[in-house]
Amino acid sequence: MKLLLVGYGVVGQALARLLEAERAALYARHAFSPSLVGVIDSRGAAADPRGLDVAALHEAKRSHGTVGALPIYGLGDLDPIELIVESEAQVLVEATPTSVAAPGPSIARLKAAFRSGKHAVCVNKGPLAVALPALLELARHNQVEFRFSGTVGGGTPMLNFAQECARGDHVTAVRAVLNGTTNFILWRMALEGETFHAALAEAMRLGYAERDPSADVDGIDTATKLVILANGVLRRACAIGDVSITGIRGVTREQVERARASRHVIKLVAEIDHGLSVAPREVPADSPLNVPANLNALSLELRTGGDVTLVGRGAGGPETATAVLRDLIDIWHSIGSTP
Amino acid sequence: MKLVMKFGGTSLADAECMCRCAALVKSRAGRDRVAVVASAMDGVTEELLALAEAAASGGHGVPDAHLAALRRRHEQAAQALGEPGLLAPLLDRLERLAEGIEAVAELTPRSRDAVLSFGERLSTALLHRALAGAGVASRAFTGQEAGLVTDGRFGDAEPLVELSLYQAAETLGPAIAAGETPVVTGFIAATQHGVVTTLGRGGSDYTATLVGAALKADEIWIWSDVDGLMSADPRIVSGARRLDRISFPEAVEMAQFGAKAMHPRALEPAAERGIPVRMKNTFNPEGQGTLIVNEAAPAPGEIARSIHLLRDTGLITVTGAAMIGRVGTAARLFQTLSEHGINIRMISQSVSEAAITVAVTGAQLEAARAALEVGLLRTGAARHVLVEEDVAIIAVVGSGLRGTPGVAARLFGAVARKRVNVIAIAQGSSELSVSFAVARAAGPEIVRALHEELIGA
Repeated sequence: MKLLLVGYGVVGQALARLLEAERAALYARHAFSPSLVGVIDSRGAAADPRGLDVAALHEAKRSHGTVGALPIYGLGDLDPIELIVESEAQVLVEATPTSVAAPGPSIARLKAAFRSGKHAVCVNKGPLAVALPALLELARHNQVEFRFSGTVGGGTPMLNFAQECARGDHVTAVRAVLNGTTNFILWRMALEGETFHAALAEAMRLGYAERDPSADVDGIDTATKLVILANGVLRRACAIGDVSITGIRGVTREQVERARASRHVIKLVAEIDHGLSVAPREVPADSPLNVPANLNALSLELRTGGDVTLVGRGAGGPETATAVLRDLIDIWHSIGSTP
Repeated sequence: MKLVMKFGGTSLADAECMCRCAALVKSRAGRDRVAVVASAMDGVTEELLALAEAAASGGHGVPDAHLAALRRRHEQAAQALGEPGLLAPLLDRLERLAEGIEAVAELTPRSRDAVLSFGERLSTALLHRALAGAGVASRAFTGQEAGLVTDGRFGDAEPLVELSLYQAAETLGPAIAAGETPVVTGFIAATQHGVVTTLGRGGSDYTATLVGAALKADEIWIWSDVDGLMSADPRIVSGARRLDRISFPEAVEMAQFGAKAMHPRALEPAAERGIPVRMKNTFNPEGQGTLIVNEAAPAPGEIARSIHLLRDTGLITVTGAAMIGRVGTAARLFQTLSEHGINIRMISQSVSEAAITVAVTGAQLEAARAALEVGLLRTGAARHVLVEEDVAIIAVVGSGLRGTPGVAARLFGAVARKRVNVIAIAQGSSELSVSFAVARAAGPEIVRALHEELIGA
């Protein structure tokens, strides 16, 4: 299966490495032999219908800052939309960093892929936060697959888990901890008695928080994942504007203390019941949502099956790359089974 | 308040009409945020269709006559609006397109849509000019520019609703927020590849409700040249009155009657989101019009909202002992009619299964008879195909019919008092309407009698 990868940062490079490392196993287990026929980064592109050499891609990126510098197969600044439409790839992998504020270019690339009959895997949450129903509709219209399991829970298959749970049952409520950074901060505040700012500084030191942590601490990242869950699993058409969002900047040491006194902890909880909300909430200390450090947890309340919870690491380049690979194998099997 | 105003062809018939519409927009644009949807000028779509067909069938000067008529009409309006050269580029493009069709002597659904799209493009340019003249800051969009995307069924394209709503909100939302009034071409959109399509059934009204849904409008106003929906055709019932408020399901039942009713497809985006639709008259803007809303409970004692008459219909009854208890007879009947493109207006079969009666429009009656004779008699599936010409169908619509005991007795009692025979009856299980057939001559009299009995004189 021929792949066109957009975005050659942490996730993109991890994916390229993973595909190399797993080549033999993928072929043995799934008769699946993916090849990267194109890579587009923010400054250039490279393409070879026979498949690009990953080591050479890494070298070009490392020494020149763009895969466009790759000898022979490097392309100058071509219109990426044209490149996507013209590419012989069967699947577009959109692995650009999330931007909820300006999802336009990413949406345009996905639309270009769909209208030229390509399947797509997306780990950029931006387009999904604002236009998931539209993108799902367009993929359906063009009879192509659209997967995005890496957007929620990273390597932990939370969307697939939720989908399995919903099959033959009804999800009556969703409560989840979907952001590792904020969970780490709140966990430190409870564990060490730190202030929000001290805990944030520690998260930055360990590389859990970005230099601009606002998307995490203001709840935007969590809300985005909630929208993806609601659309992708509960079939509830909504966008980020429909979520009531409160971040964790206002959480004080005193509140954390008070919660502890009544055997509770404060978590940034994403919730779907009648409405959609993201806010710091007290949860019982023995709740399955009380996960340590930068872990994520997704709890579903099922009408018949009762409560179920999945816990796992939520982010990270290699973890997210495994999610992309999972989606690619899924697409491979689904196109292989259609007559 | 956020409003979508859609103007129909008669409301945009000439420059004067356009200015009237522009004034209506201006009167709201001050305090509310308004988006406008424009139909083609009255009669222009028909003229364009004639142009396309004449061009495809070899020309002989006929396309030139249609082009000249289209030019004259639009240039007059542009002149009157103070910008004579406004439409020259569009009209030239239309001429080149017609020449192209003439050259290949072939009219595909795709090229027909391309030709038809000029009606709305031209009227939108004129309305945009009229709005500027009235001092309304506005910006013109084609359906495609607004973000409306459809499948590739030219002539009757189906919108990709979620995608269209997302994109229309992205393009029109900022314009409205910046205090501009977007003017969008009704009826036309484009495929995902950017090829122009037309929405077919529902037309510009459909554009209006899509735009309304995208902008999360508070109301959608459909302007035409009638005061709204009526309890009956005033030419038949002198005491017919305007319907103040009806529900979406009732509006769907009424859609088949009267040229100004909205197509159910066009109502859907509004109904699903509970956005009220108001039908108003540009020539009587003070009137309240008819409001279509989610819930419109009937007044106490109110049984029917409206009585409708389909004058020109015929009935075909298929009988035969072989039909009784035989699975698939009805399927074969409908299949045969659909293969011949015949639209069935009403269906009636008693539980005895000895006969099935269908109503079709008078113009299709003989074609239907011929099709059924070949399809059912020759194969032995039925014994007789009986045709009854000169039939009228009367439909009584209203949510008050539902679950009200004795309605049928009052309804048919009123018919009996006029000594008129009921030929066939059909009632859907939604109970929002009852339809029945009588002799054509008795139609108007029965409508009057029912209006008096069920609605009031």
